[in-house]
Amino acid sequence: MNHQCHWTEVENIFLPREATIVRSVQATPTETHFTLKMADGQPMEYEPGQIVELSLFGYGEIPIGIASSPTRKSTFDLVVRSVGRVSGAVGKLDKGESVYVRGPLGHGFDLTKLRGHDVLIVAGGIGLCPTRSLIQYILDRRDEFKRFVLFYGAREPGLQLFTDDLAKWRTANDVEYYETVDKSDPSWSGNVGVITTLFPKVELKPETRAVICGPPIFYRFVIRELDMIGIPRENVAVDLERRMKCGVGKCGHCQINDKYVCVDGPVFSFADVQGLEEAF
Amino acid sequence: MTASFIRSEDFAAFVTAMIEAGPVYGPVAKRSRFAFERLETPDELRLDYDVSILPPKKLFFPPAQDLLQFDGAGFRAPVEPTEKVLLGVHFYDVKAIDQTDLLFSERNYDINYMAHRETTTIVAANIQTVSSRAFFASVGADVQPTGHDAFLTAIAGGYVLETLTERGEALLKYGAFQPATDAQLKEAAEVNAAALERCPEMLEHGTEAIAAKVRAAFGDDELWSAMAADCFSCGTCNTVCPTCYCFDVQDTWNVDQTSGQRTRYWDGCLTEDFAKCSLGEGATENFREERAARFRHRMMRKATYLNEKLGGPACVGCGRCSAGCTADIADPVRIINQIMAS
Repeated sequence: MNHQCHWTEVENIFLPREATIVRSVQATPTETHFTLKMADGQPMEYEPGQIVELSLFGYGEIPIGIASSPTRKSTFDLVVRSVGRVSGAVGKLDKGESVYVRGPLGHGFDLTKLRGHDVLIVAGGIGLCPTRSLIQYILDRRDEFKRFVLFYGAREPGLQLFTDDLAKWRTANDVEYYETVDKSDPSWSGNVGVITTLFPKVELKPETRAVICGPPIFYRFVIRELDMIGIPRENVAVDLERRMKCGVGKCGHCQINDKYVCVDGPVFSFADVQGLEEAF
Repeated sequence: MTASFIRSEDFAAFVTAMIEAGPVYGPVAKRSRFAFERLETPDELRLDYDVSILPPKKLFFPPAQDLLQFDGAGFRAPVEPTEKVLLGVHFYDVKAIDQTDLLFSERNYDINYMAHRETTTIVAANIQTVSSRAFFASVGADVQPTGHDAFLTAIAGGYVLETLTERGEALLKYGAFQPATDAQLKEAAEVNAAALERCPEMLEHGTEAIAAKVRAAFGDDELWSAMAADCFSCGTCNTVCPTCYCFDVQDTWNVDQTSGQRTRYWDGCLTEDFAKCSLGEGATENFREERAARFRHRMMRKATYLNEKLGGPACVGCGRCSAGCTADIADPVRIINQIMAS
């Protein structure tokens, strides 16, 4: 053997920790917003943008981006879209019940690149969940950042997430918040159109640091807008989603060419992944 | 460490003594082919095998392995390795084990693999019969195997056993070994060198030139589509590969519906749904939807992506994928030589 460790002295990376649901809100017809607390009382230590593997025994494990900032201690938030075996079972759980988590995993947002700069966050759909960890972080440490602009696009008004947050952001002074829906309904009086229709509403400097997260189709259009502003691609962070099985750089499912999203990401500099055909 | 010699007539007693001391795994006949299995008697051992159906990695990374077991009361990790001897591994498979050792221990140390690996004494053996699709002499030729504890070479009248570690040295007590002579060591070296001359297939270029050109061919969609045209996406090339280590993880319940296990299963990047994600409401995104993209991904993994980390290609020239592919399109020699000629 060519290595120094011994298996009896190493932590088992596949053992999860129990977390208790302290709050559960049905955010949309398919998405549930959970607030969790570690059952052993040791809070989850993480960076904005990191992920956890969330599991229920007998159902399986799924990767989920943490949807709250570590500045809001003792609990953390996850939003689960019930689409499969694990997420379907987790979505039915209620306050007081347990789930299991492994993490935090991967690399989050590079805060050193964002501090002291104007920050633009562009979130599409469920992309608001992982970016909310950064949104809250910036709002909690507002002095560390300059101008803060947030774009959020949902398909329909009824599919908007974190509606309590949105209500605050609409009137807040510390974030310039713009929102849109692809398809309106009678309850909606705001902007209608895809996410790119928000860009003409605000003037952004090329020095702005951008963070973008959304469905696969969203990236090509948002990148085009950022290019037009003149934001260099190394100053654009993308938060990617993949079918991760292990979360620790072994199982191969999340690979984009030679990169493992679970350990090299999920947050990448766009400059590092733009040439990878399998990235978007 | 040391170099010893054991006479042919004393060899069976050596193997018997090891079997009596603990589990010994080695190549045994399976109809016309061979597989690594636990030895019951020394006569089963077939050191004249050409290549095993599955690589010996299955001892550390089984096709199905429980990562944890649960019941109503809680969960536990079933990591319970036993000391064992893995006997008769050809050098190319030792090179592959060196790679999986590194990949499972780096960054996040994987106890499920490493516990079984660290409790195994590996005795490599010379290649007596070369398989019909082997190309081990020309792939990553400057990478030497390092993870074995001893190396056994059949020579006239017996075997030379060269030990590399304390674990290897500890095996000497099981047999009637005597110090090897210079002439016996010379003969062993010649036997091993001769095996390298007998590969039926050969890469025509070196590791670095191949890595550069294969990588540069990434965007040649026509090339990959043509090469992958007959691919069934069955994943056999992944399953038989000694350096493939991707896996799926699934939970299953036992019949009581409260206890069960979280298990990892070998998986393969050639299968259709390997990189498929759910977007919700029935929508999906498959990041390697085309057969050609999956076929290309495997070759990129074998010839370029991991080279820097591994110090050479993630292919050891065993020829298992070439022989196992139903459509006979998986042969890395043909693929790489074709790319190099394009």
